[in-house]
Amino acid sequence: MTLMEKGAAEKMPVAVVDLDQTSISRRVCHEMQATSSTDIILITNSFQEAREAMQQGHIYGIFVIPEGFYADLVAFKRPRLDFYITNAYTVGGNTAYKQMLTMANLASGAFQREVLRKKGMPDDVIMNRIQPLAIDAHMLANPWGNYSIYLVSTVLPGILGLIAMMLTIFSIGFELKSRTSREWLRAAGGNYTIAMIGKLIPYTVIYQVLGIVCHLMLYNIAGFPVYGSHTRLLLGLLIFIMAMEIMGIVMIGCLPTLRDALSVGALYAMLGFSLSGFTYPNMSMLPVVQALSNLEPLRHYYLIYVNEALMGAPPINSLPHSMALAAFIIPALCVAPRLHRALIYQNYPLK
Amino acid sequence: MSRYLYHHWLQFKESGFVFIHELQKIFHDSGVMVIFFLGTLAYPFLYKAMYWNEQITNIPVAVVDLSQSPDSRAFLHRWNASPDVKMAYSCNSMAEAEQLLRDQKVHGIIYFPRDYAAQLADPLGQAHISLYCDMSSFLYMKGIYLSCNQVMLESMRNIQIDRYEYMGYGKEFSWALVQDAPYTETALFTPTGGYGSFLIPAVLVMILHQTLFFGICMLAGTVREERTELYRIPGRKRGYSALRTILGRGAAYFLIYYALAAILLGLLPRLFNLPHIGAIEDVLRLNVPFILSVIFMSICVGFCIRNRESGLVLLISTSLVFLFIAGISWPKEMIPAGWRYISYLIPYTWAANGFIHINSMGASLFATRTEYLALWGLTAGYFTLATVMFLIAGYRRDRKESRLASLSGADPLSVSSDSSATQEPETPIQ
Repeated sequence: MTLMEKGAAEKMPVAVVDLDQTSISRRVCHEMQATSSTDIILITNSFQEAREAMQQGHIYGIFVIPEGFYADLVAFKRPRLDFYITNAYTVGGNTAYKQMLTMANLASGAFQREVLRKKGMPDDVIMNRIQPLAIDAHMLANPWGNYSIYLVSTVLPGILGLIAMMLTIFSIGFELKSRTSREWLRAAGGNYTIAMIGKLIPYTVIYQVLGIVCHLMLYNIAGFPVYGSHTRLLLGLLIFIMAMEIMGIVMIGCLPTLRDALSVGALYAMLGFSLSGFTYPNMSMLPVVQALSNLEPLRHYYLIYVNEALMGAPPINSLPHSMALAAFIIPALCVAPRLHRALIYQNYPLK
Repeated sequence: MSRYLYHHWLQFKESGFVFIHELQKIFHDSGVMVIFFLGTLAYPFLYKAMYWNEQITNIPVAVVDLSQSPDSRAFLHRWNASPDVKMAYSCNSMAEAEQLLRDQKVHGIIYFPRDYAAQLADPLGQAHISLYCDMSSFLYMKGIYLSCNQVMLESMRNIQIDRYEYMGYGKEFSWALVQDAPYTETALFTPTGGYGSFLIPAVLVMILHQTLFFGICMLAGTVREERTELYRIPGRKRGYSALRTILGRGAAYFLIYYALAAILLGLLPRLFNLPHIGAIEDVLRLNVPFILSVIFMSICVGFCIRNRESGLVLLISTSLVFLFIAGISWPKEMIPAGWRYISYLIPYTWAANGFIHINSMGASLFATRTEYLALWGLTAGYFTLATVMFLIAGYRRDRKESRLASLSGADPLSVSSDSSATQEPETPIQ
């Protein structure tokens, strides 16, 4: 996963439709090429050609310099620039959009500067003239706007949890499928709780070690920022993994047939990624969906992560989410009698 | 001649037999039914419900206005009027606002310093606004920052015009100075920039791709567990046939999935009001190599699976990787070369991009020829690979059996020798 991250989007391919073909239009192209976020791969004088390139997915934006741009510019006629971006690819389109917006504004600034210079104004005064109002944007906890910090921090633990859940379903379901559940219970002296704990302890140890490795990889080796406490974030990850295991028990308890439990489990766990709200914020989902998202352990882990890593919030803020993760034990207790019976009577179909 | 035809008719009938048998298996397997039908038909609705609102509007922000001036209030008014943000709290100090941010009651803070109005009033001054964005989701940052930037540019131009007029320049000239080249920005294809409009088409293709992949692997695992062989004609104990089993099984999956793909990629964008400016027949044409290539790829992978469930646990997590390396959620130009080459081998990469180009961007099938031909290429490649794998495995098993049979004294010639191995696998040509 970590292999494919480069953080911010750079050098997004765009096209320039240069209908003006003058020194100034070429300068605009040069300046745009010099920026880090766009890469002009096509300079053409036909809009049709640029549009087709966009429809084939080669470019994310089109910058149109109209005919007579230079002449109109020096005549103070305010020629109009056009730019087109694609929204069918969000990240590429947005990056290209931001850059074109900046270019269009800078072009005005540069022109203004030239005129004011000719009027004999010193440069520092000109700067304030050109930009009397400035925004200092602070991207909290991720000042580089690094996409991978935001993506990997949730996806990697999510995948780990998903594997923990699927393997839990598998390890219990396999006893049922191979009809060995009675021996398993007998080994535990007929006690369901002991059997369950005994079976899951080795797995849990492995997942927890993986969890610790994953945490160290993200926050110690890759150096993703943590503003709160490392310990609490790690604890959150560990109980999240356990909650996923417990959901595995719930799945196999409700559907004591291995294949059904695995299929439903897979569908359930995949939803967690979207419902956690790390890409598309939870607050914009329908209220029903927002409520449902509480049923996904990943949602709670994500909130703990936001509190601990990004916000450095006091532990009291993460407490409700930790409690929620702990509460996943309740459905597991509810299905316990059913699963226990299934282990004894093996009365469910093999497939 | 008629014997020749009859022979082919028998082979064809056997393919048909495999086809019927596979359909029966699918419909008798509850796990596969859940994946094939519940997965494909319920998931799109869940995703549509999730991204119902498309846009995030009214992101709550906290205001720390130390300047308390008409200028700052005018700025806030204008900003509040944009759909993206909502002034949820007004704070007296940064500490208070930070507390709100930590409690996740707001997702951004705007801060006006004490000298804001004074700097604006000074004809040579530069005023600053500080903006703090919650980075827990990129969409918060985008909404807050872009809308604030828009208001800032507008306010800035007004201030500049005022200042130039104060200097005695005419209005026209002032405007020409401030904005010598105004611009029009046009967002193509999904003008509202909705998140669902962007993601759901890619997710629809992903749902088809992964459920089909998962389902076929599950069925292959079952066959393994039942100690029968994939390359055998069902019900037969001896002999093998690569072509007939692959074609028969492939036809069964194709029948189901072509229909599902038509619903998901043809009907749902219209039903959900997602972008659908492309020609539906082009989508349907693209679906043919898409479904076929996924089927043959899954047959290849399924062949390597020993057990119904074990390997599949990991296959699930590939969905996110596929979505990522296909260059949908993250630009393909940013994917490291190694990963990009891997992505070329996965039908999803071509199908998702092709579908988005046709469906969301209105490209013709001709403009999407790269993706379309690549899918046919993958179909041919995976089909050949599957055939070769089946032939080798069948041949080995046959030899082993005849050796065993000769050891036990039975007549090795009674082993069925109806292999159609010599028949050239017909590469589908569009």
